Amino acid sequence: MSEAHKYVWEGSVPLQIHLHQSEVTTLPPPPPALVLAPRIGYLPLLMSLLKPHFSSALPPGVDTIWFEYKGLPLKWYIPTGVLFDLLCMEPERPWNLTVHFRGYPSNLLLPCEGEDSVKWSFINSLKEAAYVINGNCKNVMNMSQPDQVELWRSVFSGNLDSYRRVSSKLKLGTFEDEYMENINSVSTKSQQSTEETESAGQVKTGRVPVRLYLWTVSEDFDDFEDAPQIDNWDKVSYINRPVEIHKDDGKYFSLNDAVKSLLPEFFPETSFVNEVDGSINQSTGEEGENTLDPVPSFHPHDNAEIKLVRIQGIEPKLEIPFSWVVNNLMNPEYFLHMCVCLKVSEAKAVQ
Amino acid sequence: MAKACCKTQEEIASEAIKHALKALRKRHFLEEAAHAPAFQALSRPFVSQGSEWKEKVENLQVELQQCYKAQSRLSEQLVVEVAEARASKASIQEKETAIADLQKELTEVREENSHLKLDLEQKIKELEVVMSENSELKAQLEQMTAKAKNAEAENKMLIDRWMLEKMKDAERLNEANALYEEMVERLRASGLEQLARQQVDGIVRRSEEGAEFFLESNIPSTCKYRLNAHEGGCAAILFEYNSSKLITGGQDRSVKVWDTNTGSLSSNLQGCLGSVLDLTITHDNRSVIAASSSNNLYVWDVNSGRVRHTLTGHTDKVCAVDVSKVSSRHVVSAAYDRTIKVWDLVKGYCSNTIIFHSNCNALSFSMDGQTIFSGHVDGNLRLWDIQTGKLLSEVAGHSLAVTSISLSRNGNVVLTSGRDNVHNLFDVRSLEVCGTLRAAGNRVASNWSRSCISPDDNHVAAGSADGSVYIWSISKGDIVSTLKEHTSSVLSCRWSGIGKPLASADKNGIVCLWT
Repeated sequence: MSEAHKYVWEGSVPLQIHLHQSEVTTLPPPPPALVLAPRIGYLPLLMSLLKPHFSSALPPGVDTIWFEYKGLPLKWYIPTGVLFDLLCMEPERPWNLTVHFRGYPSNLLLPCEGEDSVKWSFINSLKEAAYVINGNCKNVMNMSQPDQVELWRSVFSGNLDSYRRVSSKLKLGTFEDEYMENINSVSTKSQQSTEETESAGQVKTGRVPVRLYLWTVSEDFDDFEDAPQIDNWDKVSYINRPVEIHKDDGKYFSLNDAVKSLLPEFFPETSFVNEVDGSINQSTGEEGENTLDPVPSFHPHDNAEIKLVRIQGIEPKLEIPFSWVVNNLMNPEYFLHMCVCLKVSEAKAVQ
Repeated sequence: MAKACCKTQEEIASEAIKHALKALRKRHFLEEAAHAPAFQALSRPFVSQGSEWKEKVENLQVELQQCYKAQSRLSEQLVVEVAEARASKASIQEKETAIADLQKELTEVREENSHLKLDLEQKIKELEVVMSENSELKAQLEQMTAKAKNAEAENKMLIDRWMLEKMKDAERLNEANALYEEMVERLRASGLEQLARQQVDGIVRRSEEGAEFFLESNIPSTCKYRLNAHEGGCAAILFEYNSSKLITGGQDRSVKVWDTNTGSLSSNLQGCLGSVLDLTITHDNRSVIAASSSNNLYVWDVNSGRVRHTLTGHTDKVCAVDVSKVSSRHVVSAAYDRTIKVWDLVKGYCSNTIIFHSNCNALSFSMDGQTIFSGHVDGNLRLWDIQTGKLLSEVAGHSLAVTSISLSRNGNVVLTSGRDNVHNLFDVRSLEVCGTLRAAGNRVASNWSRSCISPDDNHVAAGSADGSVYIWSISKGDIVSTLKEHTSSVLSCRWSGIGKPLASADKNGIVCLWT
């Protein structure tokens, strides 16, 4: 277990959750709930903490929990940490969210039936990831019920050890850059550290499941505070393409490379023409989210400027080896979630 | 070159990795490390409090249930109590109304009672009154019956007495008849006697000393002269012995001598300092002595008209004076200082003083000059011895003051007049009353009104307050004449020694001479 893994698993976003005014029936209104939400967790899972806190103030009726930030209803299948990284340019600690228990905006959000919905979404993502990695999701589907339960439990409760135990059975391996062989040796079973050089275990080069959240700005900004607020999901384009780790002689595959490979339309000079097929959002046969983003246009642009790449709450240097990023910063469902902000000279290409 | 690149790339890579780790660490510190403890701390009390509150709530709910149960029990009780209270209130109300009624009845009955009491009292009072009246009437009845009895007895007794008296009367009548017969006899006899005496007396008288002067005094009837003698009143008049000269003294302090034949003033004796209250003249007609209100006596010599003596010693007005008929030396005077003084004219001073508690109004010497007759305010006549000044005898003459003493010519009878309008004649020797003279209109005018006996000792003349002069006959005992001329009270009457005239003086100072 690497240090980075620990930080990733233990990472929590401090939330100050306010009950929406329209749902307050007591005087005085209930104080906001202060919770630490795991980055790798999902907002609906906080129900068990929030419900007792706010139950006294709620109007009578059936509770369906949903969250919003500054008027923007939050998609529940996106991990909490990602939402935070995406929507708070300047990290707001604690992050002020508004919780609703009524009036679920079915026109904007997918229905969520509580923990089970989240769990199934997680499993689906896991299957998707397995497919990307192995070409099939047999290992996931063949997972025993108790293993499934425990896997979810470990994710739910943030138990890294228990997770490792179960996930290792999936044999999804790690990702390795050929080049990095000398630097990083990877073993599915052994701990991974950036300094270790071990004999190679099971090394894969291949496709990395990535979910990229992109928004563009036309104007430059220096401080994140000045960054334009994302007030509409339409402003965010959701790119669900795997990344092929290419070996380049003399050069390892960096994060920068990965981003550019994912966004050829913004970086037309890149030679990763093969990634163009990523324009088609991969939709696995399993149940999954409907991507709401339209197909990005093929208009060639001038090179956009990468303003921000945020993964797990940090902005790694773009030179960082992508393989390290993947191995250390991926979510439990084996996806790497990245938030990218590009400055584009033209009017917004992605609407 | 590739290796160099790789090296540099290695470095770059490891640097980037380090940076990433650093960033992760930093984020950790900023996010969960910073907030976890606070959130925990905040949540714990909520959580624990939540459970506490839950417990409390449960307990309170249990209590509340119990309270509800108790409340329901109490409200049941309350309902019961309220019903009972209402019932008792109703009964109280009834009782109160009953009480009010009873009180009303009670007051009414009390009123009746008081009325009845009042009535009863009234009746009792009336009854008492009636009973007392009854008892009074009973008593009266008894009295009446007793009176009646007494009256009957008296009646009986009176009848008896009357019978007795009648019998006595019859007896007396018999006696009277007998006496009458006797008296007729006597009268016949005395008539003869008197006739004889008179004749004898006349003879005798003529043979007595001074018989030449004797004249039959007649009863005067007319006023010969009316003299305005003195201003203010004339109280003292006096005839000279055996003469018709009249001496008068009055309020005007003068003593005048009149000739009564002519009615003219002969002389006027001056020198008296006060009103002349009484006059007397010596037997030889030489000296006139006047008693004055100035506490003095004045002695004039008639011929010269000068005052010979002034006798002082009295401390009050001198109201009576007399001179001895024998010696002409002794003068006696009485004053209102309760004294009677005897003066010696030769010596010129008082030789004796008699003090008596009752003032003397009138004086007279006896014929022998040894005894003084005095008439006093207490109505008594007294006799004094001139030498010793001792009281010889005393006799009650009048019921009021004696105003006049005058001796009869023969000296046997003294006439006293009193304020009781009675004129008494006393026998000198026995001091018994031998005659009493009265008259209906005769009122003695003053304490010093002087009356006199006629020279024939048969008549008395006295003045009256009504201005008339009454003349009585001694033998007849009755008025024989009333002389009216004066217009005011007659104070003094004097009969001349020669029989006429009679002089009277009144309060206005007028002197009438009657013949």
